[in-house]
Amino acid sequence: MFDRHQDLKTIRRCKRGEEAAFKEILERYRGAIYNLCYRMTRNSEDARDLGQEVFIKVFSLLDRFDENYAFSSWLFRIGTNHCIDHLRRNRLRFLSLDGGVGPDGEEYEFQLPDTGPGPDTVLQRKEALERLEEVISDLPPHYRAITLLRHDQELSYEEIAEILQLPLGTVKARIHRARNQVQQMLAARSYDI
Amino acid sequence: MNGKNKNSGPPLTCDGCREGLQEYLDGTLDKPESLRFFLHLRECSGCREEHDRLLGLFQMLDSLPDHEVPADFDAAVLASVPYAAYQAMEPLRRERVPVFLEEAFLPRFVRARTVRLVGVGVASISAALALRGDGSAVLPVLVVAGLVPEILVRLQGLGRRALESMGRAES
Repeated sequence: MFDRHQDLKTIRRCKRGEEAAFKEILERYRGAIYNLCYRMTRNSEDARDLGQEVFIKVFSLLDRFDENYAFSSWLFRIGTNHCIDHLRRNRLRFLSLDGGVGPDGEEYEFQLPDTGPGPDTVLQRKEALERLEEVISDLPPHYRAITLLRHDQELSYEEIAEILQLPLGTVKARIHRARNQVQQMLAARSYDI
Repeated sequence: MNGKNKNSGPPLTCDGCREGLQEYLDGTLDKPESLRFFLHLRECSGCREEHDRLLGLFQMLDSLPDHEVPADFDAAVLASVPYAAYQAMEPLRRERVPVFLEEAFLPRFVRARTVRLVGVGVASISAALALRGDGSAVLPVLVVAGLVPEILVRLQGLGRRALESMGRAES
């Protein structure tokens, strides 16, 4: 999805202090990073602040970037970790009504009564997507991030493993569990998508 | 279920199908395994229903709408970039070459112009004597030994130039 060779050439120009090269990187990745931050927080102000902080951090650490890896992986790793750190710092604000996040960030329970629309309600696609976004934003942060990397950024399991620095098997298991949770939460809220 | 296809292995059970359905939809199964799922789904309406439901979810997850980035997003980022620091670091970064390509890697006497000239001279005279038919076994050794300092210095220079041109091409 992202051109690794093109990125490397641009990063080398950044390291020479060329302002145009930094603008190119922003142009290429601002949408992806902003949307990742938005879906992680579901708040446009937080998404803007977090997204800007991610780029500021990346641009100040370019000398530490290992050219053996894809720049996009490094950027998404910093972005994902930054969002998860932010959510941890603001945990109370983001606790879901559906349950709690365990100490390992993976436990969850669903006890909401069925208050959603009836099963015969015909939902417009836009409404369905909004509900899906709502459900994703209520996933535990680790599941949220991995779901977005897989489906929103359309990254492969291997790329996600590189970004999150996890074994491939763990990535697969987490994505499967995250999707299962999405299905359970949709069912618990009677959201028919 | 169709268990007659020799390439597809034993038929899949419903439990096995539900367990591996996500991988089937992700396209990460190998061909024979994928074929087992295909054959099972063709025959089992319950699993096919689950497949269609999951496929719908995958399609929705893949089509989440993009949110527009605020117009003032770039300004704060670009204002914080340490351009001057990167520009100041550039000459230091440019000089980085592998240790064996640095001049100091060779002993000073090998690099000395006099040693290199004398070496080439000795090698030339030895080669000329060898060509005239002087049968001494020492002559080929003198030819090689005489050329070693010059060859080493020139190889280092070539290596550095090659590295510089590679760096220019990549950037």
